Amino acid sequence: MSTTIAPQSGGSKERVRQDKSQLNWRQRRGQWDVKYSPYLYIAPFFIVFGVAGLFPIIYTAFISLQDWDLVRNSGEYIGFGQYNWVLHDREFWIALRNTFSIFLLSAIPQLVAATVIAAMLDQNLRARTLWRMGVLLPYVVAPVAVSLIFSNMFGDKFGLINTLLSDIGIDPILWHTDIIPSHIAIATMVNFRWTGYNALILLAAMQAIPRDLYEAAAIDGAKTVRRFFSVTIPQIRPTMIFVIITATIGGLQIFDEPRMYDQTGTGGANKQWLTITMYLYNIGWGKFNFGRAAAVAWLLFLIIIAITLMNNYLTRRFVSGEDAVKKSKKTSLKLTAKGGK
Amino acid sequence: MSLSRRKKTLGMAAGATVFALTLAACGSSDPADDTTEATETTENTEPVTLTVATFNNFGYTEELLQEYMDLNPHVTVVHNVAATSNDARTNYFAKLGAGGLADIEAIEVDWMPEVMQYTDFLADLTDPEVEGRWLDWKTAAATDPDGRLIAYGTDIGPEAVCYDAALLEAAGMPSDPDEVAALLEGDWDTYFEVGQDYVDATGKAWFDGAGGTYQGMINQVEAAYENPETGEIIATENPEVKAIFDQLTAVTPEISAHLSQWSDDWFAGLATGTYATMLCPGWMLGVIKGAAPDTTTWNVADVFPGGGGNWGGSYLTVPEAGDNVDAAKALANWLTAPEQQLKALAAAGTFPSQNSALEDEAALNAAMASGEAPTNAEFFNNDSLGTIFSNRANAIEVSPFKGEFYFQVNDAMQNALTRVEDGSQDPTTSWNQFVTEVEGIG
Amino acid sequence: MARRTRTSIGTGRPTPFVYAMLAVVLVGSMFPFYWSFLIGSGDASTIYSQNLSWWPGGNFLSNAQEAISNPAVNFWKALVNSIIVSTVTAASTVFLSTLAGFAFAKLRFKGSGPLLVAVIATMAVPVQLGVVPLYIAMSKLGWTGTLGAVIIPALVTAFGVFWMTQYLSQALPTELIEAARVDGCSMIRTFWHLGLTAARPAAAMLALFTFTTTWNNFFWPFIVLDQQNPTLPVALSLLQANYFVDYSLVLAGVLVATLPLLILFIFTGRQLVSGIMQGAVKG
Repeated sequence: MSTTIAPQSGGSKERVRQDKSQLNWRQRRGQWDVKYSPYLYIAPFFIVFGVAGLFPIIYTAFISLQDWDLVRNSGEYIGFGQYNWVLHDREFWIALRNTFSIFLLSAIPQLVAATVIAAMLDQNLRARTLWRMGVLLPYVVAPVAVSLIFSNMFGDKFGLINTLLSDIGIDPILWHTDIIPSHIAIATMVNFRWTGYNALILLAAMQAIPRDLYEAAAIDGAKTVRRFFSVTIPQIRPTMIFVIITATIGGLQIFDEPRMYDQTGTGGANKQWLTITMYLYNIGWGKFNFGRAAAVAWLLFLIIIAITLMNNYLTRRFVSGEDAVKKSKKTSLKLTAKGGK
Repeated sequence: MSLSRRKKTLGMAAGATVFALTLAACGSSDPADDTTEATETTENTEPVTLTVATFNNFGYTEELLQEYMDLNPHVTVVHNVAATSNDARTNYFAKLGAGGLADIEAIEVDWMPEVMQYTDFLADLTDPEVEGRWLDWKTAAATDPDGRLIAYGTDIGPEAVCYDAALLEAAGMPSDPDEVAALLEGDWDTYFEVGQDYVDATGKAWFDGAGGTYQGMINQVEAAYENPETGEIIATENPEVKAIFDQLTAVTPEISAHLSQWSDDWFAGLATGTYATMLCPGWMLGVIKGAAPDTTTWNVADVFPGGGGNWGGSYLTVPEAGDNVDAAKALANWLTAPEQQLKALAAAGTFPSQNSALEDEAALNAAMASGEAPTNAEFFNNDSLGTIFSNRANAIEVSPFKGEFYFQVNDAMQNALTRVEDGSQDPTTSWNQFVTEVEGIG
Repeated sequence: MARRTRTSIGTGRPTPFVYAMLAVVLVGSMFPFYWSFLIGSGDASTIYSQNLSWWPGGNFLSNAQEAISNPAVNFWKALVNSIIVSTVTAASTVFLSTLAGFAFAKLRFKGSGPLLVAVIATMAVPVQLGVVPLYIAMSKLGWTGTLGAVIIPALVTAFGVFWMTQYLSQALPTELIEAARVDGCSMIRTFWHLGLTAARPAAAMLALFTFTTTWNNFFWPFIVLDQQNPTLPVALSLLQANYFVDYSLVLAGVLVATLPLLILFIFTGRQLVSGIMQGAVKG
């Protein structure tokens, strides 16, 4: 399943661009309505971003080149010294390793499960609302409760899981000592919280698929599974891309779960589960080196962009446009194109 | 001590203990009349609102603040509380330069290395009236290099040994506080040897874990990690540090319960009687009482290996940028006066750092025997807890130097000890990694 | 309209196996609530007890009462603030995100591609350091201490814009927009009648997510507000302001604070039910 998801995720921008509709009527409204109102519609985002988002980004970029004193809000320009230091720090690379490991352990099972759950919820269920709202419940639980539950489960000595294991004669797992178990535990926390969330996003997309596509496929003799791959997945591609990109960005910035994983929040005695954002936070708020922390923030930003682009490239390569649905899409696009020009 | 500042859900007002809801406690302590003399009303009697920001539980009850407002009708006091010292610390340093802090801001002793770099943002609280109010080392830690007193001391964390009398008895050992004190009197070797006897007799662990124990040991070293003159990091070459590391890692395999402090396992271990003793500052009493409410056999011995030790403690600062610096100063002065600190002790278990309060054993014992039931005195089967912690406070001889890199080095050391405790590394490997990590600091 | 009969829906008719799977998911999802209730109905030591009973204790109401009536917690003020902040944020995010998503997905304008990439890129900036510059910005604007400082940065999110873009590019047939324009609808009317309608299921979910996220958000409100004017997480954090934390009180308080969310779920749930657009496309 995982292989079917990744390939689906690209090509989006192309399609989005094509879809950006061909509205050039000039009859009643002035040309400006067509030409300028889109800018008006996206303006609120950029205004809010300008007030609340832009300054922090510029600030971070600026101080990453400085030996920065947070309290005095001043610093000394040192070029790329902070970046240099970070790239030569062993902990940075450990954190990078952990981040990718936790990311893969969480993102892949999570997206597969979310897609399957969404497909199940997309059926003609009795008491639909109950099931749908049910999967979102983990997202509603207050963070303090989540962290308490999981630290109760994954305690090395008195944790629920190890107690159960020892009841059936299996050696306890050292959740807070060994690297892979700690990553699995953290990935479990992440998946618990976000699977239902992503399932509902995908469900919304599935709900928007015209039902006659399924009818047509059924008439052609396609079975449930086949319909899922030939109709559902291609149809929800834009949303799938959205889910993959946000899961990638969120996954690589993973912070809350590993930080809640033990009482110190510093990633373990041997940095077993130190992630990049925790590393960043520890340098900033722990060691009070905000210039260096800002350099980490920018390195992480670049890594995320690189991964996202790579994702996009891979998906494009794997996307084949050979199914019936896509053909029908193309026809409609042609039609609209004609109408538009 | 660094354990505290990294703690997530359980912030530390070093000294905050007992339950937050002991509002009734204040009513039962001394009436207001003895506080009037400490009150210094500024000449300015314009109506003024003062905000006080604390964290965890300082014992500043509504009644206590109301008392000040009654004495100074033109003042309204507003109290903001952050749950954890971690949150409070972020808030403090995010706003110290930018402005926006409360008129009075509580700080924890662990923040001092950083606070000391920014004393120009804090009002000078030097005042003849408060001279000699606190233990010398408490005042010294809050005096900047220019001799300005930038913070008034609230509480301290003098350390004693807490033990579970039932467990000691089961091991055929003495369990009366005086006998236990006599048994443990001596240096760390004594504590560990008695521990070995206990382990031999019972097969159970002697103390909770290496982390807290190490903290007790290293706080007796004057200059552990940094050279006080030059600020240079000496941790890896300091024979005292290595000696403590070796001594501790040699005994932990046998006598430690291998629980890292504040973890869920640690609390569960406390509740289930996994170990017999732990080093305990005054504020730890509330933790034990809360986590192991069904154990009725905990007690406190008036002893600490190697002399005395302090763990934690807090201060009040007055940010210079505030609108009401003088009025804030007067309130901080009043709140940290011995009379008020005793009430805070009754309400929250914050043990006084003020000399005259420390001398008044009767008042201390009474405060430890008040508050929500069961009181500390009841729970620990001991009605001289005030005397015990007062003695422990007087036994503190060393005020360890903590410079810019103290907490980074200490974190590295705590991690090194954890790696040995959890069995992932042998002591030599772990020490070598510690050395590498410390060399990378800066 | 949403209640169109759906006979051959989705990828098939649910089998008992599907119900069984969903039941497992549902039980897993509800577990944290039940567990919180177990702890919240016990006493301070319940959470550390080694033989946790699966049957709740009898203290839930008294714990909840104690949490709410703690004078320091300021519960009712916090509840009102949380409702205001979450409602305004959710409504605004949904509207502004749908508006921007409509433009990105269905309208053609110069620079739309790079601008959308810019929107997505803003999500990739780590936020751990953001609190200081954001505080400086809010402080310069004089908004600190007011609910505005919590609401304004969250009025619209990159997440919401990106989602609505992707959703609408799939769910809103371009033909419909063309038809509307041919009929002489202005751009904004087209958005109002078609964009918002088509977006409804996704918008309802975005509203739910935004509301929930804002409802549970702790750190920024903690920095920028104070105990006199808090949101619920800031107020309830006081229950943890102690050296030993009584988690039975904390979880009882947290559960009570979650009730409004659950009520919201029941009402919003119906909105999510279905593909409104099929009707529109066919009709």
